[in-house]
Amino acid sequence: MTTWTLEQPDKLGFDEVQRVLVKLVEGAVSVVGSDDQPTLELSELSGEPLRVRHQGGALTVDYERPWRPWPLAWLTGGSQRRKAVLTLAVPRDCRVELRVVSASLMVGGLQGMVEAHTVSGEITLAGLRGPVEVESVSGPLQASGVTGDLSARTVSGDLTVAEGGGGSVRARTVSGAVAVDLLAHGDRDIRLSSVSGDLTVRLPEASDLQVKLQSTSGQVASAFGQLEHDRTPGRDTAFGRLGAGTGRLRATSTSGHVALLRRTPEATV
Amino acid sequence: MSPVFSHGRLRLYLLKLLEESPRHGYEVIRLLEDRFMGLYAPSPGTIYPRLQRLEAEGLVTQSQEGGRKVYRITDAGRQELAGRREELEELEADISGSVHGLAREIRDEVRGSVRDLKQELKQAAREMRREQRHENRSRRDDHDRHHRDWWDEGEGFDRHLRELLDRTSRALRRAQLSEAQLRECAAILDEAFERIRQTLKSPDDPHPDPQERR
Repeated sequence: MTTWTLEQPDKLGFDEVQRVLVKLVEGAVSVVGSDDQPTLELSELSGEPLRVRHQGGALTVDYERPWRPWPLAWLTGGSQRRKAVLTLAVPRDCRVELRVVSASLMVGGLQGMVEAHTVSGEITLAGLRGPVEVESVSGPLQASGVTGDLSARTVSGDLTVAEGGGGSVRARTVSGAVAVDLLAHGDRDIRLSSVSGDLTVRLPEASDLQVKLQSTSGQVASAFGQLEHDRTPGRDTAFGRLGAGTGRLRATSTSGHVALLRRTPEATV
Repeated sequence: MSPVFSHGRLRLYLLKLLEESPRHGYEVIRLLEDRFMGLYAPSPGTIYPRLQRLEAEGLVTQSQEGGRKVYRITDAGRQELAGRREELEELEADISGSVHGLAREIRDEVRGSVRDLKQELKQAAREMRREQRHENRSRRDDHDRHHRDWWDEGEGFDRHLRELLDRTSRALRRAQLSEAQLRECAAILDEAFERIRQTLKSPDDPHPDPQERR
C-alpha cells in the first residue's frame, strides 16, 4: 500500500484505479471519467491534512483522524473546519463512492457504479451510464444525461433529472420538489414519492407506460387525455395506460401536487 | 432563463465556434461535446435557446439551408468576441489546463441547464393545474346554476337571506325584550331552520352530490 499525506495543494498520479472512496467534510469533490492516467488534483486545503491511500486498484481519500462534530469542539482548541477541493480523473469503468458532510459533489462521464452521500452539499451528475445511488438531507440533486438506473433520496433537497435516459428512476423526498424530464421511452420503472414536495414528470408524446398518479390533499394534473381521473375528497388520482404500457410510472404524494407533462417534439436539428 | 457556463461563458464559446465557420445547431452541439471530452453533451434544448438569444441580440444571423438552420456570426458578433478575447483564452486554459477546470465547467453547465429546466417544468405544471382548476370550476358552476334557476340569477337568495338577518337583528336590538320574548324569538328561528332543513331533504329537490361540490 502506498500512502500520501497532503498538507497543501498537490497533484498525484496512479497506475491503476478500479475503485474510489472519498470521505470528506467541507469543500468540493469532482470525479470525472478519463482515458488518460488516473490523477488526483488537490487545489485547496484548510484544516487537517488529507490522507490518500492506494492499494491494488483501490484509492481512498480521507482524514487520518475521523471527524466528529461534537458541540464543545471549540473548547478543546483547534479549528473544526476541514475543507478540501479535490478533483479525480479515473477510468470510465471505475466504481465511485463519495461520503461527505457539506461538500458539493460532481460525478461525470462514468460507466461504473456511483454512490454519493451528503448532508447539505449539492450533488451534480452528468453523463453516467452505470447504476447511481445518491442521498442527501438538505442538498439538492441535479442530474443530466444519467442513463443508468438512478435511485435518489433527500429530506428537503430538490431532485431534478434532465434528459433522463433509458434506466429506471426512483426518487423519494419529504419536502423537496421532484422534477423529472425523460427522453427515451420503453420498459422502465419510474417511482417518485414525496410527503409535501411537488412531483412533476415530463414524458415524450409516444410513451409506453402504465401510469398511476396520486395525491392525498394535493392536486393531480395530467396532459395525457388517455388517463382516467378520479377525484374524491381525500384522494386525487389519475391512472391508465400510455402506448403499449410496458413500463411503469408511479408518482405518489401526501400533500404535494403531482403533474404529468407532455414533451413537445424537439426543435428540428 | 439565466446565463449558464459561469458569467456567460457558453455564449462566448458559441460565438467562437461560429467565428471559425458557419455551422448548424447539431454541429455546435457535437463540438461542445468534444470540448467536454465526451463527458457531457449539452442537449438541443439548452443550445437552441442560446443561439436564438444571440440572434435576437444581433450577434449571429440564421438562414435555412437544405432544411437545416445555419448560424453565422455578424460583424457585431465579431466585435463582441474581439472585446472579450482575454476572457476566452482564460476559459480555454481553464478547460484544457486541468481536469479540475473541466469538472468545474461541466458542473456549472449542468447546474445552469437543470435550473432552467426546473423553472420550465414548474411553470408548465402550474399553468396546467390552473387550467384544470378553471375547467373544474366552470363545470361546477354550471351544476350549481342549474339548481338555482328558479331564483333570479342565484344571487337573489343570498341577498334576501342577508337582508332578513340584518332586519331581524336590528329589530331585536331596538326592542326592549323580556326573557320570555327572547326565548320565543329563538324558538321561531330554530323552527325556521328546521323547516329549511326538511325542505332540503325532500326528494323533489335533491341536495347536490357532495363530490361534485368539492
